[in-house]
Amino acid sequence: MYNKLRFTGFFISLLGIFACQEKHELPYLGPKSVNASGDTVYHQIPAFRFLNQDSTWVTEKDMEGKIYVADFFFTTCPTICPKMKTQLLRIYERYADNDAVRILSHSIDPEFDRVSVLRDYANKLHVEAPRWNFVTGDKKAIYTIGQKSYMVTAQEDANEVGGFVHSGAFILVDKDRHVRGIYDGTKEEDVNHLIEDMEKLLGNK
Amino acid sequence: MAIGLASCESKEEILYKQYVVEGRVLYQTHCANCHQENGSGLKDLYPAISQASLWKRMKSDELTCLIKWGRKGTKGYMPGNTKLQALDIAEIQTFLREQWGPQKTIYSLDSARFALKTCETKL
Repeated sequence: MYNKLRFTGFFISLLGIFACQEKHELPYLGPKSVNASGDTVYHQIPAFRFLNQDSTWVTEKDMEGKIYVADFFFTTCPTICPKMKTQLLRIYERYADNDAVRILSHSIDPEFDRVSVLRDYANKLHVEAPRWNFVTGDKKAIYTIGQKSYMVTAQEDANEVGGFVHSGAFILVDKDRHVRGIYDGTKEEDVNHLIEDMEKLLGNK
Repeated sequence: MAIGLASCESKEEILYKQYVVEGRVLYQTHCANCHQENGSGLKDLYPAISQASLWKRMKSDELTCLIKWGRKGTKGYMPGNTKLQALDIAEIQTFLREQWGPQKTIYSLDSARFALKTCETKL
C-alpha cells in the first residue's frame, strides 16, 4: 500500500514536471517554413543597420548572443510612449548588470528624431548604449522591419494625436533572433510576464 | 447627511471641491501619461509637477498657456492640449494646486479665460 502510494506520488510529480516544462517553453512566433531537408525554419529578424543616440551603427551583429526587447516609439509622442518608457526603464534597471540583455527602441518619426534628439532623450532618461539603443534611420526600412519582422503596426496618421498610430508592443527576441513573445508595453502586469519570459530565455527559470 | 454637510460649506468651498474632483479626472487623461499619477515625472524627461521649484518659477497664467499650447523645441518639448477649454484648465490647475501647490486655492474660470487671451505661442 505504502509502495503503491509512493509510486502514485512519484507519477504525479513526474506529470507535474512535464506540465511545467511544457508551460515554460516559449513559443516561436511568426511565419514558419520548412526547408529542403524537411526541418522547420522559424521566423527570424533579418539583418538591419540603424544609427543610435551615439551616432554609432547598430546591427544584428551587436545582438549576437544577447536577448533583446524591441519597441517602436517617437520622442514627441504624448500618448502611450511615456508609459512604454516607464516600463522599459524597469527592465533596463533590472538588467543593468547583465550584458546578455539589450533594449532596442526604434523611432517611427526618424526625420524629427535625429541622432541629437535621441541623445538628448536618452540622457534625460539617464540610460546608455549599448544596453539601451535608441535608433533612427531610413523611415521605410524602420516601418518594414516593424511590420514584417517584429509584427507590429506603425504608420503615419494625421488624425492621431502626435501624428502617428502605432502599437505599444514590446517584442522579445532570443539569442538566435527568433521572436519569442509580444507584450503590451503600456501595462505593468504584461511587462511582468515579459520579465518572467526573459528569465526563462536567460536560463534562470 | 451629505446634503447637511454640504450645506455647511460656502459656495466657494463647494466649487473648489468640484474643480478638484473634475481636475483629477482630466489630469489622469491628459497629463498622467508623462507626469505620472503621483506627479513624480520621469527622470529628466518629464518634469515632476510635485517639485517645489517648478511652482516657484512658473506663474499660473503661464501654466495655462503651457497646458493649452504646449512648448516647441527639443529643449523642454511638451505637446499642446488644444482641445482643452478654459474650464478644463481651471479644473486641472485647481487639482494641481490641491495636490502639490504651495497654496490650495481655486484657479478660477475667469483667470483661465483671461490667461488664454494672453498666450503668445499658438500652434
